[in-house]
Amino acid sequence: MTKAFETVLEKTFFFFALASAGVVILIFGFMLVLGLPLIKGGLFFGLLTQPWSPHHGVFGIYQMIAGTLAIALLSVIFAFPLSLGCAALISVLAPPIFAGFLRKVVQMMTGIPTVVFGFVGIFLLIPIVREVFNGGGMCILSAVIMLTLLISPTMILFFSESFDRVPKSYINAVDSLGGTRVQKLLYVILPCSRKGILTGLMLALGRAFGDTLIALMLAGNAVQMPGSLLDSARTLTAHIALVIAADYESLEFKSIFACGITLYLFTTVLILMLRASERKEKP
Amino acid sequence: MNRVIEYLIIAGSWLCGIVLVGSIFCIIGYLFFKGAAAVNLSLIFGRTNPIDAILLKKQVFNGIFPAIAGTFSLVVLSVALAVPAGLASGIYLAEYAQNSTKKVLSLFFDILAGIPSIVIGLFGFSLAVFLHKNYSDRIYPCLLISGISLAFLVLPYIIRTTQVSLESLPMQTRLTAVALGATKLQNIFYVLLPQSLSGIVSGVILAVGRCAEDTAVIMLTGVVASAGVPKSLFSHYEALPFYIFYISSQYADTQELLSGYGASIILLFLCAFLFLIAFAIQKRLCYQMLYRV
Amino acid sequence: MRTKSVLVFICLMFGFVTAASAASLDVFKDQKGEIKIAGGTAHIPVMKAAAEQIMSLNPDIQISIAGGGSGVGIKQVGEGLVNIGNSGRKPTDEEIQKYGLKLFKWALDGVAVVVHPKNAVKALTKAQIKDIFAGKTDNWKALGGTDKAITVYTRDEASGTREVFWEKAVDKGDITPKANVVVSNGAMKSAIANDPYGIGYVSVGHIDESVLPVALDGVVPTIETVKQGTYIVSRGLFSNTKGEPAGLTKLFIDYLFTPEGQKIIEANGFIPVK
Repeated sequence: MTKAFETVLEKTFFFFALASAGVVILIFGFMLVLGLPLIKGGLFFGLLTQPWSPHHGVFGIYQMIAGTLAIALLSVIFAFPLSLGCAALISVLAPPIFAGFLRKVVQMMTGIPTVVFGFVGIFLLIPIVREVFNGGGMCILSAVIMLTLLISPTMILFFSESFDRVPKSYINAVDSLGGTRVQKLLYVILPCSRKGILTGLMLALGRAFGDTLIALMLAGNAVQMPGSLLDSARTLTAHIALVIAADYESLEFKSIFACGITLYLFTTVLILMLRASERKEKP
Repeated sequence: MNRVIEYLIIAGSWLCGIVLVGSIFCIIGYLFFKGAAAVNLSLIFGRTNPIDAILLKKQVFNGIFPAIAGTFSLVVLSVALAVPAGLASGIYLAEYAQNSTKKVLSLFFDILAGIPSIVIGLFGFSLAVFLHKNYSDRIYPCLLISGISLAFLVLPYIIRTTQVSLESLPMQTRLTAVALGATKLQNIFYVLLPQSLSGIVSGVILAVGRCAEDTAVIMLTGVVASAGVPKSLFSHYEALPFYIFYISSQYADTQELLSGYGASIILLFLCAFLFLIAFAIQKRLCYQMLYRV
Repeated sequence: MRTKSVLVFICLMFGFVTAASAASLDVFKDQKGEIKIAGGTAHIPVMKAAAEQIMSLNPDIQISIAGGGSGVGIKQVGEGLVNIGNSGRKPTDEEIQKYGLKLFKWALDGVAVVVHPKNAVKALTKAQIKDIFAGKTDNWKALGGTDKAITVYTRDEASGTREVFWEKAVDKGDITPKANVVVSNGAMKSAIANDPYGIGYVSVGHIDESVLPVALDGVVPTIETVKQGTYIVSRGLFSNTKGEPAGLTKLFIDYLFTPEGQKIIEANGFIPVK
């Protein structure tokens, strides 16, 4: 391999890295350009606070933002203790055989396609919710339950991995002091993996925020401010999937770019926050 | 410490484990209970002779063969697009980039990894409409557009796995060939890449799994309810996850619903299998790659 | 002797029928290419059946069928993204003019209010339906049913079924924002079939034993009452093309108007129109 060839390849690698990073800008650029009429007219922030009512010519998305927040936050609230408990079982509390089994199950769960969760949700979960709570069945609760199952496995693996990274010497110290397994967990492992837990939590929130199918299939898609767990609600993501069909020139269609931009900005902010927290911890 | 609290914590953790395992077994058990009987050749090929179908001599109706073929083409296309770019970027990041460049670039890739898939789908759709209006009437939302969008979706996986597995090689491995007079590029191609192959392969497998299961992106970029086996890059196509989504809300009769269960079982196995392989090959790496919607 | 002649007759009939059907499809024999269809979800079963006939005769033809709703059909065909855009309502004059659409109305259909088969409420007045969909009546008890909350289902904004229902059944009244939104006639049918306390509206052609059509002001929505004109919430099913159709697209639309095409339309519960 000659020197020239080396340089050419290095440049090629650089080009690809740059191009891949450019994709991020390209996607945002597309959203911005297509949503531009909204932003120019000062409508963008208006949309964030207006209701959705196409028959009256109002295409706001605040109900969808509320729906997204409700479903994403609730599922993280459900999933967090569940994941913490399971991760504690895998890393500390359970006997090795069960821990190994649980880990395998959780790994397998990460591979279950979202659409399968949705499918089973429609035919198994919704009838149950309908009978137990007396309502339509397609509601925030149904979506939250399935979404909890969807985001938990990744959180569990992330948590248990940061538990396992706690230095062996700390663990040995507790053991030699005669500490119980629970004490080990509470006073050593959890404090030491605080950062890992926070990261896992934020990533899970990002995932819950961006999920489309579960909400689209199970939450009912009604455009309203969610008031209870049993209300039907629509998320930003489901809204995009439902309105994509509209006339390309219409304000209705443009408003889904407002949804896109909102989702995009949210994930970016989340990533930046993660970065910042990592930097703070380093020194 | 209070004994009672201690027991409560242990009991709580076991409860979490049981709830999780229980609900997942409910889901899988339910699918099997309802759909196992549907998984057979006629689920896939309908009334058509399987050999004729595979050789594309006859179209398959009432079977999921076109959906499987669509998903297969989609996976091949998007992975073929994403792997070269991802490998090159990963190598650059791990081996060439200055510290500051690396920071900026990896921030970009993190953001790319975090973008919800429906937003990438929306991008793909707008791209198709844009190209259609400005360049060629022949471009619609189609297999190619979906392939490109999915490639963007899995690109960060491949970049990250490549980068991390290269970076985690021990110094000894890194320096031996160089000390013997190898150039940087020779070192990368003959030593570093082969050494980190397992990590890269598991990244690619995860990417395949993601492409096979994604529904949100393709929903906006050209998948349809009925199209037959795709004939070209510019055709509409069917796909397995979309078929399941479609059947779940608009099955016409119990027979169709049953094939939805069957398709779910097939997709479930395909994806769970892929993920388990990826884990078996390279466990730690995979954890960081999982956070995609 | 008699049986023999009957047999011969049957054979002749059979031969005649296959010959006739082959004749309708003959034009597709040497064709090659792709037809993209999108839009109205009421049309999908007919489109699928026709596509199956054509594609099994000639595997070189690919016909792709997507839903999305009437709005999507009209827009996508207008933008040139698909060859045929279906709609369950007549495109507006503005749409026809803007895109240069050519309309083909091949069937008559209605939009029926449907409930779960176990529901005791089998007839409603127009005023009651308006109140239910506006969210003013929210319990089945008020209508003579069980004491359960009503779950209202509606369609997305692109739906032609919604448009027709909104215009003719609830006289452009409000539809409650609490209503669950589903994206196709098929999805509406399965949602109601699965929800004992649900109410929604669906294409008359899609009605089967899994849902119960509700009589509107005493008229049960069936294909007969739509035909007679006594059931008022009726509509045509349209396939639209941008400009005069040509090539495969033309052959496909012509096929819908052949005797065999009409048979397919009838078999799917619609009234074929010449």
